[in-house]
Amino acid sequence: MLTESNCIFKKNENGFLLAEIDGKQASRVKIVCTQPLTRPYEYVSVMSMDDEEYGIIENVSDFDGEQRRLIEEDIRQRYFCPVISEISSIKDKMGNFYFDVVINGRKKNFLVRDLTKNIRQYSNSIMIIDTDGNRYMIDDINAVPKKSRRKLQPYLY
Amino acid sequence: MPPSVPMFGKKRKNGVFPKHILSALEKCGLKTENLIYSAVTDMNDNGEFCDTFICFDDKGLYVANGNVDVPSKKGAEPFVTVDKIESFPIDAIDEGYIEKFVSTARLVYKKSEEEFPLIRFSYACLEDMDAFVYAFNSFKNGVPVEEIKAEKENGEEDNPFEKKKRRDRGIVFRLLAFYKKYILIVLVVTVAIGAGAVFQLLVPQVGTRALFDKIISNPNHLSQLDLVKSLGILVAEIFFLKLFKVILDSGHQFLMASITPKVVYDIKIRIFTAMQKQSVSFYTSKQTGFLMQRVTGDARHIYWFLINDLPDIIVNVLMVAGIFVIMFNMSWKLSLLVLTIIPILIAVIKGSEKMFHRLHHAHWATNSNVSSIVSDNINGQRVIKAFCKENFESKRFRKASEELRKAEVKLAKREATIFPLFQAVVHIVSTVIFAWGSILAVKGEISIGSVLSFIVYVEMIQQPINFLSGVVNRWARCMDSATRMFEIMDAQPQITEKENAVSMENMAGSIDLSELEFEYEPARPILKNLNLHVEAGEMLGIVGKTGAGKTTIASLIARLYDPKRGSVKIDGVDVCDIKLHEIHTNVGMVSQDIFLFMGSIADNIRYAKPDATMDEVISAAKAAAAHEFIMKLPDAYETRVGSGGRDLSGGERQRISIARTIIQNPKILILDEATAAMDTQTEARIQQSISKLKDGRTTIAIAHRLSTLREADHLAVIENGEIVEYGTYNELLTQQGQFYTLYKIQNKALNAIGIGE
Ligand SMILES: Nc1ncnc2c1ncn2[C@@H]1O[C@H](COP(=O)(O)OP(=O)(O)O)[C@@H](O)[C@H]1O
Ligand SMILES: [Mg+2]
Repeated sequence: MLTESNCIFKKNENGFLLAEIDGKQASRVKIVCTQPLTRPYEYVSVMSMDDEEYGIIENVSDFDGEQRRLIEEDIRQRYFCPVISEISSIKDKMGNFYFDVVINGRKKNFLVRDLTKNIRQYSNSIMIIDTDGNRYMIDDINAVPKKSRRKLQPYLY
Repeated sequence: MPPSVPMFGKKRKNGVFPKHILSALEKCGLKTENLIYSAVTDMNDNGEFCDTFICFDDKGLYVANGNVDVPSKKGAEPFVTVDKIESFPIDAIDEGYIEKFVSTARLVYKKSEEEFPLIRFSYACLEDMDAFVYAFNSFKNGVPVEEIKAEKENGEEDNPFEKKKRRDRGIVFRLLAFYKKYILIVLVVTVAIGAGAVFQLLVPQVGTRALFDKIISNPNHLSQLDLVKSLGILVAEIFFLKLFKVILDSGHQFLMASITPKVVYDIKIRIFTAMQKQSVSFYTSKQTGFLMQRVTGDARHIYWFLINDLPDIIVNVLMVAGIFVIMFNMSWKLSLLVLTIIPILIAVIKGSEKMFHRLHHAHWATNSNVSSIVSDNINGQRVIKAFCKENFESKRFRKASEELRKAEVKLAKREATIFPLFQAVVHIVSTVIFAWGSILAVKGEISIGSVLSFIVYVEMIQQPINFLSGVVNRWARCMDSATRMFEIMDAQPQITEKENAVSMENMAGSIDLSELEFEYEPARPILKNLNLHVEAGEMLGIVGKTGAGKTTIASLIARLYDPKRGSVKIDGVDVCDIKLHEIHTNVGMVSQDIFLFMGSIADNIRYAKPDATMDEVISAAKAAAAHEFIMKLPDAYETRVGSGGRDLSGGERQRISIARTIIQNPKILILDEATAAMDTQTEARIQQSISKLKDGRTTIAIAHRLSTLREADHLAVIENGEIVEYGTYNELLTQQGQFYTLYKIQNKALNAIGIGE
């Protein structure tokens, strides 16, 4: 278990996350979630760049202020997913679903196949995975415009 | 995903930028004439989508965020904006690499051990960026510019969206082509269907209408006899019309039934052959693997449509057309009224369709959930019992069934309300027609018989329209399935035999791996610059942790995959230049996960050599230490194994699969953890027979237990896709490296149970 007492994070001038664990010299680390989809900030693993685990942080909120910010920043970067704010259209062409969406106010289109596998619902949020393996999120299905919701609804279960 | 995605072909857009981007970069002050390599990526540092251009020449590396607007008009130049160009002197970078995140990745560069992040991009650009990084690193390592430029594939950027559209149109014709062989029968069937439709249409004309106009309201029928005679003729007419229709219908159904199994057979064979042609990667790839899972369902959709729906479409279209022709002949006024109900009917159908789609989907999803719980419970019975989870599973099943029940009730309720509504629309229209028709009849514009037969026609039209709107869904589903089927048929196998492939009947069996690089997914290298030489007739042992890439090396030697870079040579000839058939007969592999085919044990052992005598089968089984356990089975060599057959233990299956390979008598024998599931004693016995087998062939043995590799002439230790140690058993022990450490650990464990060395 890693806590504030045996693990100190910092960021080097190039923007990489370093950690000093058990007083050993700081080296580059990455933060990997054990439950990235539902509880990204609990039970996170601190790993070397070669995937060796140094230890697990039970809850990121056990860390304070700047330290916590650094951890969360790394998680956000690793698990970053573009967030869809609006769905303009979904066209079904023989099992190829062409999504036309708005992300950060910019139009974006992508192709999704095998919907049952590639549209996943986690309570209110929805993840869509396109043919390249890119993930897109809808954080809260109830927060997107009604029209968008209606377009997606037939494909949700 | 492995190198190419069949559906979209090569998506490469690297090499040097297209003209419009070059000129935009020029305008911002970048000299572009000496650019060596470039790529377009899709994100800025904040993870927002934009177009980012990255390129390098012999002086520096340049990065610019910008935007490419592709105009909707065809052939117009895209409009490119470039924000700002950042440049990095080429000497300020030693090398680059890609760091993968979960859905994005970034390019990181190194300068004397220090690392710097450069740009960020989504997985869509992984392959391109991987090529870019490779080009850049090659350049830094002194590879001549010409060579780097030659690596790029100068293919035009394919627009997947465009390509897809073009293909859709062809599908209908390709589907119909399945009927081509039976064109004569199909023609006869079509004519029979058409004639049947005409007869059915005539019934109300000669029936209802004639009854009223010619008999009931004919004042000339004075005598009783005349009346009976007319009635008799009428009944006879109706009877024969119906009779003809029945004969035609059964005739066409009979003919269809005779070609249906043939078409179904053709489709199945075509799909199956197409599947066989594909390489291993087609099955394991994320992009195409799912095609395979669906293939049986797809075939069913397709032939259901071709057999059941297609003839009915013809019937129903003819019916609708015929009904209108007759109606307009009787009264155009009333016909126009009927025409107005058609849009209403279609609107009702379409409106309910969306809702039904959702309900059906919910029904399907809950249903498959229930089935998977059932299959979990059947396959996992032992685990469930062992963990005492029967109650938990029952609850899980009850909950899922409950949901299914709810979905079913909802669906049934909707169906129960929608169809009467549909009927009601038709009835209202009939009533209106009856009223208006009566007025027209009183005025003498139309006969009573016509009005009544009109109503019969209105009722008659309802069924074909209902059918036609329903068939649209099945049509879409069939097209969907057909697309996937043709995709499998059209996909170019990744592994193909060259036209001038050489034949090597007498392989000696030396193997050379040089600068071998391989990856299953872009930017996740499994083998990195691997070099290995195996003399003909030698035995090489490969050791390494799980996931080190041992099986991958074996697959590359057997050419189940092609390397990304570097080469695999057998007797000095690149495996890509050797006839596939000869590689597969000369390279025998006992793989880690064993598959036994449905059939007897003897058949399975004989798989590679169906004409092997029982003598050969038994001696192969003996060599694999399998004979003994086989003889203990009641049916001995005739025991059925494989799906639906007898369960064998892991070690028993391994022994059968070793026997199967022994009978193949390959020049190169690969044993991929072939004895891992056996007890030490059996293993030792197989060891003996393997050492006999070694003579006259090259053997590569992959193993966890080092004791099994004593016999090996050389050993290679693999770690992270690289060879870290190489030498004889004793050399490696004296080196006191990784192999030594592993040896110590295993020996300790063996000593503990009293069988150490
Ligand atoms: N079909 C595949 N698709 C993607 N990755 C794979 C595939 N097969 C193997 N791998 C990965 O390649 C690596 C090496 O696998 P393998 O050669 O089977 O290792 P070993 O045989 O040494 O245990 C593993 O990390 C594994 O996850
Ligand atoms: Mg393996």
